Amino acid sequence: MKFINLLKKELSEIITVQMIATMGVLIVVFMMMGNLMSGAIDSVVEDATNPKINICDLDDTELTDSLINGLKDAGAEITEISVNSDNYAAVLKENKIKNLIIIPDGFTESVENKEKPKLISVSKMESAATLANITNDNSGAASFINNCVTNIVAQQTGMSMEDIDLITNPIEVDENTVVADKTANISISTITAKLASQSSMLPIVLFVLIMLTSQSLITSVSNEKIDKTLETLLSAPVSRVSIITAKMLAAAIAALLNAVVMMVGFLVFMKDITNGVTEQLGEVVGESLSVDKALDVLGLNLSVGQYILVGIQFFVTMMICLSVSIILGSLVNDAKSAQTAILPITIIVMFPYVITLLTDVNALSTVPRILINAIPFTHSFTAMSNLMFGNVKMFAIGLGYQILVFAVCLFIALKLFKSDKILTLSLNFGKKKKKVQTED
Amino acid sequence: MAKILEVKGLTKQYDKVLAADKVSFDIEEGEIFALIGPNGAGKTTTIRMISTLLIPTDGDAVIAGNSVVKHPEKIREDITYLPDEAGAYKNMTGIKYLRFMAGLFTSDIEKINAYVERAKNMCGLGDRLNDKIGTYSRGMARKLLLSRAVMTKPKLAILDEPTSGLDVLNAIEIRKMIKKLAAEEKMSFLLSSHNMLEIEFVSDRVGIIAKGHLMVTGKPEELKERYGASNLEEVFERVVKNSEVH
Repeated sequence: MKFINLLKKELSEIITVQMIATMGVLIVVFMMMGNLMSGAIDSVVEDATNPKINICDLDDTELTDSLINGLKDAGAEITEISVNSDNYAAVLKENKIKNLIIIPDGFTESVENKEKPKLISVSKMESAATLANITNDNSGAASFINNCVTNIVAQQTGMSMEDIDLITNPIEVDENTVVADKTANISISTITAKLASQSSMLPIVLFVLIMLTSQSLITSVSNEKIDKTLETLLSAPVSRVSIITAKMLAAAIAALLNAVVMMVGFLVFMKDITNGVTEQLGEVVGESLSVDKALDVLGLNLSVGQYILVGIQFFVTMMICLSVSIILGSLVNDAKSAQTAILPITIIVMFPYVITLLTDVNALSTVPRILINAIPFTHSFTAMSNLMFGNVKMFAIGLGYQILVFAVCLFIALKLFKSDKILTLSLNFGKKKKKVQTED
Repeated sequence: MAKILEVKGLTKQYDKVLAADKVSFDIEEGEIFALIGPNGAGKTTTIRMISTLLIPTDGDAVIAGNSVVKHPEKIREDITYLPDEAGAYKNMTGIKYLRFMAGLFTSDIEKINAYVERAKNMCGLGDRLNDKIGTYSRGMARKLLLSRAVMTKPKLAILDEPTSGLDVLNAIEIRKMIKKLAAEEKMSFLLSSHNMLEIEFVSDRVGIIAKGHLMVTGKPEELKERYGASNLEEVFERVVKNSEVH
């Protein structure tokens, strides 16, 4: 009963109207992002299906006319532009266009003389964003013209298209990917791209959750200390274990709520994007389905049991963060320090997060591998990968290590709460000195 | 009268600071005892040791037969503690705060209701109890916290600087409340204050503490007579000067 009383109070402190409003805003933001991305993808797909190509035909021959007509027949929307200078930036600006293909004078002559004809492609780069530049890229049109010219050259030299294909692609690569003892007839790059799109969400969600819950718990504990409500609690007939457990459980419940909201939001976001693609490009779905089948064959689709194991590991990760947050919050004596107290957690979570994004920790040489694996959060980010690729032993070691770290952190937190150090010890984060407090 | 609190040689040594040095005194049932001294004298350290928040380096304090060193969890059932300049949960309403605090002392709903009712009557905040504590004035918050500290009828209520930061009228009201509870309900109080003139009006006995040493204890009138002083401030001055001479 006393514990429930404490838990209710902690929940009311953490799950506030502001937090619920933030979660609502988060869902709306995800939906808006999804719609926005879906719109952007629709526009890219539309442009890919019916590209808008600006062409300046300086050669103006029968051949170049037929090339332009061929592009039109393939679904391209052609706008003919007149260019009088080689200041391409000025040309694009003057005509308010973002791409341009120039067929220079002498193009046909070069083709007829069996020389390599020159084609000028001009694309405007407006930002570093991938989607923003796709529609400005002329490579599709250039490739089309290249194929047409290949046809002409084939006719000129008396070669068949099969001969041309044999010359340009003399070997056929039968790509196979092996995972542990399973093999699938698919390229490793396709599998890697699929896995990246599937599993990128969980570490991001975990990372954000760790930050959110750690900060809220540090703030909760430090506020109690600063407002001296902690002294009132500690002098009341309620066990210190209950006080800590109630705080951690409330933070864990809040984390769970946040996790559900973020997952739902992310799923809405991903669904909008996927719909944007699949509605327009049916064939992509076919490819994607075959990739899914390959993942099954390779055993890279996690089973329900494996997802539960990942869930357990994520839970232990959260518990480590919460116990560390309790310790950090207990050592804070002012609001300013409370804001920077999360820094140690950020660093030890961020480091393995970035490392695991870039490389396979298990493939590193001994010393860096041991050092990175010594950070308990590394095992959270490698959990899915370890289970997918059959490194069950590594997963088990990681989980065991995390449980041990959690036990140690919890022990320290309990020790701190049971001693009077919680009131006398203070670490001024961001300041140099560690000091012991005294009072009247 | 039965002794509610017996403090025996309580000592607290921090790294290089001796915050309390062999402090000894006792409090009887229904008595108001005040530790007085300037800031940094050792009042709060002594009070925190008696409240089981700090572990004494040496010595002990016994409350209703239980030792703060050996059975702190039992002590917590018999005391309430109001820290100096304590806050409350700003997002809670006053009534929810009282209910939450009452729930820490008992799981019996009837008792919780009785405690809350008692606190409601004592604090005199009326409908404002339904407002968030963050909207309270300092005086209102202090009245709420004080009524929280006495609603469970503890054997010993420990109040650190109970009137600090309050205006005269609020301070008088709180002093009256303390005196009434001691007289009518035989509740014992351990107060601390650096305002020696104020404490003279509220306490039955005082202990003058400076630099961690409890110099002298006695009734305000006795001490004034013994040191030929007109008020406790003068008593304090003379006690400290005498100790420096010796």
